[in-house]
Amino acid sequence: MAVHQKRYVLVIDSRKCIDCKACVVACRAENNVPLGYSRNWINEERRGEWPRLLAAFEPEQCQHCESPACVRVCPTGASYQRPDGIVAIRESECVGCRYCIIACPYDARFFREDKGIVEKCDFCAQRVDRGELPACVETCPSKVRVFGDINDPESKVRALLEKRRYRTKKPEAGTGPQIYYLL
Amino acid sequence: MKHTEWGFLIIIYLFLGGLSAGAFFVSALASLLQRNGSDAAYSRIARYGAMLAPWPVMIGCTLLIFDLGRWYTFWKLFFHFRWTSPMSIGSWLLIVFSGIALLYLWSWLSEEQRKRVISKLPRRLGFLNRDLSAYRRQLAVLGTPFAIAVGIYTGVLLGAVQSRPFWNTNLVAQMFLFSALSSGCAAVTLLTALRREENDSRAFQLLYTVDIWLLTLELFIVIPYLIHGALSVQAVKDSLALVLGGPFTVTFWLFFLTAGLVLPLAIEVLEVLPALVRRVNPHFRTSMVAVTAILVLAGGFLLRYIFVFAGQMSAFK
Amino acid sequence: MGAGMTAATAHFAPLLHRPGEHAGVERLEIPTTCEMCVNKCSLIAVVENGAIRKLNPNPASPRSRGMLCARGNAGIQQVYDRSRIKKPLIRVGERGEGKWRPASWDEAWDFAAKKLSAVKQQYGPQATLWSSTESFQEVFFKNLGLAFGSPNIVRHPTLCLASVNLAYSLTFGTVPSFDVLNARYIVMAGANRLESFITPDTMDLIDSTLERKSRLIYLDPRFTVTASKADEWFPIKPGTDLAFILAMLNVIVSEKRYDKEFVSTYTLGFDQLAEHVRPYTPEWAETETEIPARDIARIAREFADSAPRAFFYAGRRSSWYREDFQTRRAQAILNAISGNWDRQGGMVPNGKIALGEFPVFPWDDPVAPRVDEMETSFPLAAKGDGAYLKLRENVLAAKPYPVKAWMIHKQDPMSALPEQSKTLAMLQQMDFVGVIDIAMSDTAWYADVIFPESTYLERQDPAEVMSGLSPVVVFRQPVIKPLHDTKPTLEIVQGLAKRLNLSQYFDFTMDQWVREQVKELPLESPLDYLKKHGIYVAPGFPKYGSTLTADHRFVTKSGKIELYSERLKEAGVDPLPVYHPPAQPPPGTFRLILGRKAYFTHGNSTNNPWLNAFASENRLWLNPRAAESLGINDGQMVEVSSTAGAVRLKAQVTQEIRRDCVFMLHGYGKRSKWQRLAGAGASDAQVLETAWDKVSGNAALHETFVKVRKV
Ligand SMILES: Nc1nc2c(c(=O)[nH]1)N[C@H]1C(S)=C(S)[C@@H](COP(=O)(O)OP(=O)(O)OC[C@H]3O[C@@H](n4cnc5c(=O)[nH]c(N)nc54)[C@H](O)[C@@H]3O)O[C@H]1N2
Ligand SMILES: Nc1nc2c(c(=O)[nH]1)N[C@H]1C(S)=C(S)[C@@H](COP(=O)(O)OP(=O)(O)OC[C@H]3O[C@@H](n4cnc5c(=O)[nH]c(N)nc54)[C@H](O)[C@@H]3O)O[C@H]1N2
Ligand code: SF4
Ligand code: SF4
Ligand code: SF4
Ligand code: SF4
Ligand code: SF4
Ligand SMILES: [Mo]
Repeated sequence: MAVHQKRYVLVIDSRKCIDCKACVVACRAENNVPLGYSRNWINEERRGEWPRLLAAFEPEQCQHCESPACVRVCPTGASYQRPDGIVAIRESECVGCRYCIIACPYDARFFREDKGIVEKCDFCAQRVDRGELPACVETCPSKVRVFGDINDPESKVRALLEKRRYRTKKPEAGTGPQIYYLL
Repeated sequence: MKHTEWGFLIIIYLFLGGLSAGAFFVSALASLLQRNGSDAAYSRIARYGAMLAPWPVMIGCTLLIFDLGRWYTFWKLFFHFRWTSPMSIGSWLLIVFSGIALLYLWSWLSEEQRKRVISKLPRRLGFLNRDLSAYRRQLAVLGTPFAIAVGIYTGVLLGAVQSRPFWNTNLVAQMFLFSALSSGCAAVTLLTALRREENDSRAFQLLYTVDIWLLTLELFIVIPYLIHGALSVQAVKDSLALVLGGPFTVTFWLFFLTAGLVLPLAIEVLEVLPALVRRVNPHFRTSMVAVTAILVLAGGFLLRYIFVFAGQMSAFK
Repeated sequence: MGAGMTAATAHFAPLLHRPGEHAGVERLEIPTTCEMCVNKCSLIAVVENGAIRKLNPNPASPRSRGMLCARGNAGIQQVYDRSRIKKPLIRVGERGEGKWRPASWDEAWDFAAKKLSAVKQQYGPQATLWSSTESFQEVFFKNLGLAFGSPNIVRHPTLCLASVNLAYSLTFGTVPSFDVLNARYIVMAGANRLESFITPDTMDLIDSTLERKSRLIYLDPRFTVTASKADEWFPIKPGTDLAFILAMLNVIVSEKRYDKEFVSTYTLGFDQLAEHVRPYTPEWAETETEIPARDIARIAREFADSAPRAFFYAGRRSSWYREDFQTRRAQAILNAISGNWDRQGGMVPNGKIALGEFPVFPWDDPVAPRVDEMETSFPLAAKGDGAYLKLRENVLAAKPYPVKAWMIHKQDPMSALPEQSKTLAMLQQMDFVGVIDIAMSDTAWYADVIFPESTYLERQDPAEVMSGLSPVVVFRQPVIKPLHDTKPTLEIVQGLAKRLNLSQYFDFTMDQWVREQVKELPLESPLDYLKKHGIYVAPGFPKYGSTLTADHRFVTKSGKIELYSERLKEAGVDPLPVYHPPAQPPPGTFRLILGRKAYFTHGNSTNNPWLNAFASENRLWLNPRAAESLGINDGQMVEVSSTAGAVRLKAQVTQEIRRDCVFMLHGYGKRSKWQRLAGAGASDAQVLETAWDKVSGNAALHETFVKVRKV
């Protein structure tokens, strides 16, 4: 197979989300996210008139944008984008100006009072580099989340995006989000 | 997780930065306009501006540093230059500008003033005792673009953030620039008003004329900003609701627009106009001048207050 | 030796070893088995320098399939919980005062042994009660009670699934599994499988329903997550499920849509059934269930036409109503005539794996009869597990004899039993209460001595067979050394046995026990295999049709599937399910119903900070129309009262429940001050009234009508 530049993305099939919160706890454990903060969360929508009710659950986290606003505005380069598309933060370089938080259209980042730095989902880079799946992806009971290399024609994400219709969140924000929500 | 990350430290910082830029600008203007250094009123304004310019911006920078999550890592800001980051550019800009502003101030010091300063410094720094007065104009010319850049930067810092529709329009930068210059101008005016001399009225007239221009320009950007926003995409419309019938409506319309912009503008015009028309020296009531200046300063501060908070609250739905 | 050994089981060296990414970090990956709930999912513990870093799912399990739920992920917190019981504790203050004295194990054992012997002296061994909930080491605790001479072993089934198990056993001679994955049509009545995890059913349902391979009809008075994913949700009137099932039977029988060939070959009593269900028309059922007759009829037809790849799901917790047994019987009968027995996508008898048994020295069977009088009160029920609520009534009445000592293992009766005041009274009338737990539960709070057990990640457990569609042996090995002065149940039991002169019955080590268990497994070195993989999956499953031979004898009286049951008749129980309309809440009152949330297990994971972060208090679900009539707004404090007691909590006004019932999450309103959420929210156990199913003795936990008023 020809060597190609990897581009990691997440494909999410919200229809299958059962709001069990396994992903949230797995992330907390894997990344030592202190209580009170979270790198990922489940959006909830409840509508309808009895007995025609509807409840929809939608996982969200950093979108690992194509042109990340957070990286653009970061004055020190602490926020950076890896060649494989993962947008991460170099703790040592972060001065805690919080400019990136303001710049992120998805409110994916939070300021850690305890450390004085900013944190967010990094696709569990430490796991991905070991060849493992991100914690939230691996643990999800209904496999709502599919993680993979969109540049790999063989990949499951590619197959899904070719087969199914999808949308991205707030495309108008212009950062090119890389989480694809299947319709 | 929706809450405002940036608070008053940032607001004050933006305000003070603008203030310095404005003070320098007015001072430079005065020293460049006056022919053959004769006109006492001009040189007085120039001196006040020069004396004032370096300090607010330097205080502002300190505030910015203490607003950092890890203030002791602020030096990292200067170990990287990232042209895509307004904050990175800004940090450098502020340093350079402060430097020039200090030199410029030095150039306006009299022999004995310099002596007094030097005497307080360690011996080794004795060599600093140089008379730069000859370079005032050059320093003014050199500093002005930086002053203007700083004025613009305080706006760009916000304006460059695409994710906050309330900010993300090129008008913001200009709005902040003119507001910055006019608050600088107002600060100098206030200083002049506080230290009475017989040439007051000429000075006031000059300052007022400049400020009238600046405030008018600001006014003519605020209005298009609102109209442009109201006609823009939904997200911007929504964000505008924050000032047009939202948490900031009163602050914006009553305190900023009316009391901080239109009212002082009106006063200034009324004071200067008759003089221009009847070609007589206007007589200013110093107290009035002071009040007007304070109003302008308050307006400048409120503009930043409103934008920093409202902007952070605005978002794409 | 690497990380992950208890002193007692040092020879269980974890085999799977991965060098750490960076020098100085010893990184182990140890497969073991989750115990945050009953499902026993397979996990792989990542241990760095002797500390648990992360619990990852183990994809090798056909039941949990590379899933670890929120609770499974939060297991770390249970181990490193600062409020754990770190040393044996002996009570110094009054019961419930929370004054403890840390004690040595010898002290604790001596103390308990003295008390137990005293009770035995004065009242006889039957005056001791031994209660526990499912755990791999439960057997040792139970055996201690039996060896001690007490018939009074009470386990959790009569709080949980006794009625459904009995109903299926009496019909098929066994309790089958449901092939959810391959079904085409599933009717689920109040088995909230997408929130109350049962593996593999939950995993199967996710694959079959969420991937739209099957059709899910879901009945529940609440709009649960399962309801939100179902193809059709019917907010059935509580307690009327039997009417719904009888009407389905009526349609299928009268329209001859049942599997005639199967019915004639394998079942008994179809004619009586046909006769019996004639009056139960969909129109009649509509008035009972408030589900439109045409929907009931349609569902019956679709169900029958999809058979054998269709079933009426049995559910697990059937501690619902006084009539619960008959409701579950009707399910069983409906499934039987649809011919889905032992067919793909239907109902399948459990595959099993035989483990070796360590020969234990036999003890004489206890002489005294059980205090709950199982033999006379519930002649049909499984005796060994007892009937918890009847037992409590009798103990409180000292009838037929007094019970004065209570040993409790891995169970929290204070939260798990209805009418907490009675459980408390029962505790108070004991001369001695000993608890084996890992945390200060509300029950432990009232104990005289607490034996702290090592958590599931710190101890070696016996191997455990999980029978089912695809039977497995799961293995639980220590991944770290015990953090505190705690022991596994076996050692706690052995310490007591020694002092009670019962050592000969426990004369073995965990190592010997486990080796004996696994030695027959068809593997070259079974123990090493289990240490390395954490699970053994029996080959050749799922199997279908092995019982579908004309000569197959079902383990029933007649050897056939008993639609009509002679045994029931003899026992004076309706041989076919007769519908008795359930009492309905009088005006101004509501039926209190119970249920699960995916991130809590029963009463005791609300102490886990990673889990209670999702709900720091429970609220009373109240339908908007009901709330309006009571003048209650969302978030307002309300009082919920019944004859059992009254509690206060905030109202959650929501469309997602019928207007004739209310709901609150289990596990709040804790009394134990060691619980993080002590006092937050309200305890349902304090308002639930005491009632049980006549036939199985299973608790009837949905029979309480409560008053709700603004306070
Ligand atoms: N109100 C209400 N009551 C109910 C139910 C309900 O939904 N609502 N559900 C019913 C059902 S279905 C069931 S199965 C029962 C369950 O009732 P219980 O069996 O009492 O279950 P838990 O409440 O989880 O209590 C388990 C206890 O075991 C302890 N424990 C956990 N791990 C270990 C361990 O490794 N070793 C030891 N020694 N102890 C441990 C916990 O700290 C806790 O105190 O409750 C029944 N009662
Ligand atoms: N997350 C999680 N999963 C668990 C457990 C846990 O504690 N937490 N516990 C495990 C254990 S021990 C058990 S027993 C099972 C229990 O899990 P389930 O068998 O699903 O039982 P519950 O969730 O207690 O109740 C199921 C539903 O019955 C509904 N219901 C109430 N009354 C009626 C009625 O009259 N008719 C109908 N059709 N529905 C009704 C309730 O609204 C509730 O949603 O879960 C197991 N899995
Ligand atoms: S783990 Fe999967 S199903 Fe559960 S909440 Fe997260 S995304 Fe949804
Ligand atoms: S979502 Fe926000 S934080 Fe993540 S890459 Fe995009 S801009 Fe950056
Ligand atoms: S907070 Fe840290 S990461 Fe964010 S912009 Fe500032 S330096 Fe960069
Ligand atoms: S990918 Fe990793 S960091 Fe990102 S949300 Fe999932 S678990 Fe957290
Ligand atoms: S369902 Fe969750 S808590 Fe229960 S055993 Fe599996 S992982 Fe553990
Ligand atoms: Mo249960």
